[in-house]
Amino acid sequence: MRYLVRMLAGITMVLSASSSSAESVSDKRGLTLEGAKKVIAATVAEATRVNAPGGSIAVVDEGGNLLALERLDQTFAASANIAIGKARTSALFKKPTKTFEDAIKNGRTSMVTLGGDLQNFTPLQGGIPLEWEGKVVGAIGVSGAASAQQDEELAIVGAKSLDSMEMVWVTNGHAPLPVTYIESQKVAASFAKGGVLVGDDENMMHASRNYMVHASHREKAGAVEIHEFDTDIVYVLKGSATLITGGTPVGTKTIAPHEFRAPNVNGGETRKLVPGDVVIIPNGVPHWFKEVDAPFDYYVVKVR
Amino acid sequence: MTTHFVMTLALGLAMLAATVQAQLVEKKALTLEGAKQIAATAEAKAKAEGARVVIAVVDEGGSLLLLQRLDDTQVASVNVGIDKARTAAIFRRPSKVFEDQVRNGRVAALALHGAVPLQGGVPIVVEGKVLGAIGVSGETPSQDEDIAMAGAAVAASFTK
Repeated sequence: MRYLVRMLAGITMVLSASSSSAESVSDKRGLTLEGAKKVIAATVAEATRVNAPGGSIAVVDEGGNLLALERLDQTFAASANIAIGKARTSALFKKPTKTFEDAIKNGRTSMVTLGGDLQNFTPLQGGIPLEWEGKVVGAIGVSGAASAQQDEELAIVGAKSLDSMEMVWVTNGHAPLPVTYIESQKVAASFAKGGVLVGDDENMMHASRNYMVHASHREKAGAVEIHEFDTDIVYVLKGSATLITGGTPVGTKTIAPHEFRAPNVNGGETRKLVPGDVVIIPNGVPHWFKEVDAPFDYYVVKVR
Repeated sequence: MTTHFVMTLALGLAMLAATVQAQLVEKKALTLEGAKQIAATAEAKAKAEGARVVIAVVDEGGSLLLLQRLDDTQVASVNVGIDKARTAAIFRRPSKVFEDQVRNGRVAALALHGAVPLQGGVPIVVEGKVLGAIGVSGETPSQDEDIAMAGAAVAASFTK
């Protein structure tokens, strides 16, 4: 009997281990800074509408860490920290902070000791969880309006604004961009001189997308390139070149943030590239078009 | 004797008048709108560089006016950013000054109340007066400070 129990326990452990390994990582949504700004904007609009005397509005992520804060003109300075505390408390407990204020008021005084382990525990009305598809993705805290009641009313309006928000603001990705269409003539013109098809703007990488597309054209050999963040996916269209990848660059210089160049490299692998070839050069790997049979045209997608 | 009395009286009145005048001063204060413009410029620079940072703007008293944590920035930078901004505001100088002092052997600068001796906090100056500060945290000390300086530079165009 004891043996049977042990065996069953063993089987259960194996089963649970296998199921937990299948789910060792789960997807979740998180609020972006853009999403947080929109929540604050909706709250500020409501504060203006109801003529609130002021207000600090804090938006935190699911872990209770501050994402964005605004303190309206004339609002008392301490309200900023109180707003953060309300938002943090609401996010970490996935509850409106009024719950705690009420519980304490109704006699559960010992609840104030929760502050011992939780940084900035603030059991004061005015913190509301931000929910997306039934999941808490953060919280909003308001302090400094006319009353605790009004603090909460403003926070509720801010939290509700998430309902009408497009999903993109609550993913870890970025806003969906319009479809990009570049007609063949323009593409050909870019290849003629070498140019950037997509991504040559201020927000080229971080803000709106995580890729760039280059129509690259080479007449002669280049420098050794190292992209700290960008992976190059290369498709050769015309001409040929000798590509050296890896090795140890010599005389490396920083030419832009996260971009390095060198005149030479020791070692590395040599490949001859011809039309139709595809090469993927991960970020951080030195690469050098050492010899070029011009014109050498290649399409590059840079992924960050 | 009479002359002396008159002189004393005149002096007393002059002092009184001066004291009355000094009861209140007119000061300019940074508005939320101003803070937003400063943060927006810093944010644009950060994004152009792919920098993941927290941008904090505090008022003259070192209290938080506005904060933005760019996507994917380490969460610990929230407090560091606020601390740098407060340091620059209440000491009216870049927080780098204290980092340099410590590095150059003035270890006692670590004991300053309310200061973090970390590069990346820059005062916001309008018409020669410090009205607040911007603090940036998340990347290297010099990149943080460059982003903060770009934001703070916007204040040069602020006039009331």
